[in-house]
Amino acid sequence: MEGKPPNGTGPMHVPLGHVVANEKWRGSQLAQEMQGKVKLVFEAGLTPVDFYLPSRSCILYVTEADLVAGNGYRKRLVRVRNSSSLQGIVVVEKTQMSEQYFPAIQKFTVLDLGMVLLPVASQMEASCLIIQLVQEQTKEPSKNPFLRKKRPLISELSLLRTVQQIPGVGKVKAPLLLQKFPSLQQLSNASIQDLEPVVGQAVAQHVHTFFTQSR
Amino acid sequence: SVAYCSNSRPHLAGAHASLKLPQEGQRTCILVDSREITSSSEVISSLRAVHGLQVEVCPLHGGGYIVSNRMVVERRPQSEMLNSISKNKLIEQIQHLQSMFERICVIVEKDREKTGDTSRMFRRTKSYDSLLTTLIGAGIRILFSSCQEETADLLKELSLVEQRKNVGIHVPAVVNSHKCEALQFYLSIPNISYITALNMCHQFSSVKKMTNSSPQEICVYAQVTHQKAEEIYKYIHHVFDMQMLPNGLHLGRLTADA
Repeated sequence: MEGKPPNGTGPMHVPLGHVVANEKWRGSQLAQEMQGKVKLVFEAGLTPVDFYLPSRSCILYVTEADLVAGNGYRKRLVRVRNSSSLQGIVVVEKTQMSEQYFPAIQKFTVLDLGMVLLPVASQMEASCLIIQLVQEQTKEPSKNPFLRKKRPLISELSLLRTVQQIPGVGKVKAPLLLQKFPSLQQLSNASIQDLEPVVGQAVAQHVHTFFTQSR
Repeated sequence: SVAYCSNSRPHLAGAHASLKLPQEGQRTCILVDSREITSSSEVISSLRAVHGLQVEVCPLHGGGYIVSNRMVVERRPQSEMLNSISKNKLIEQIQHLQSMFERICVIVEKDREKTGDTSRMFRRTKSYDSLLTTLIGAGIRILFSSCQEETADLLKELSLVEQRKNVGIHVPAVVNSHKCEALQFYLSIPNISYITALNMCHQFSSVKKMTNSSPQEICVYAQVTHQKAEEIYKYIHHVFDMQMLPNGLHLGRLTADA
């Protein structure tokens, strides 16, 4: 591994498909489950981080015992949060025992620190989730349905719909107005005299009032 | 459009009364979609009764809760996120919200347990994990709630955080009939949220004023990002071309865009 962070919180280069794990996880159920599915490399001196994932993110694991013991875990979270370039993902053991402490850690992590929080019931669940996180980071961003480029919309149809919101204007008069005053801005600036030949006196008055009336 | 106006009538009295209070603008406001009433009555009453928030029920058409000028919150039962059919619906819904809002948060709520029913026990699946990681990958926030009361508490916290960031909702959700017409007009602008349309209603003295605004002015008055303001500006200035309408819509003219 290149570029070992000086204080244990800086960014670390992790190749795709790899996870760098804190030495303390060696031999744990979590590590055993992950091995074989992702390439796991152990390193000493990674505290406060438990796992480094590719693309500048890391995992802070909060155990059931940590949660029950008090707010000691918070220091670790803040250290990683303050180390700029790293996205911290907090994985927390939410069990029957630690459930009551969950709302507090969620408020602190997500609402105060703005970090990601994911509850798991066991180390077994955590291993599946971490593998999924690594896979998510391995695939191309365009494969994420929420990162796809939006299709350009047909403005003509929307424009017709917008003009039809003006009182007195329906399906017939909307295209007539837009043919004469082709943008909403031009339509809004049309005088009653300009509008009259297109839609008649009454509707011309309505349209003009709609745009100019102070609300 | 009558429905929109009558919708706000019950709140009118309260709004007038609170105008006299010096800190009228300080009270946190949350907009709730009218479709949420049936499924989340406890969330709504909790927000009002326990947290004392101003809750306005509006036809939001997508998006359960608007907690600030830029943030929308979707509340989903955990079972829906496990089921692949409703999961796809959620994905579509989020994509729709992404076109209107800068920030999105999903609250995953534990399903209500029926006595004696053990079949609905939560069993974590790969598909559930993949949905969570996909959301994280796109920067969408996720919160976990154990019941409707907790969901209400989280909504309150979210709106307070947003208020501290100066993006709180500061316009009344009530509109008179003149404003109601303008609101419908603004709502028809593509990819515009209900709160943005409301801001336009209250901040621009007339619709003409809005349509003659610069992107900078739109940015300030409608409380949107520069990018969104540009998008709205382009729409207002877009030159209508009958030829661009899809087939059959106008005298069977051919369309350039299929």
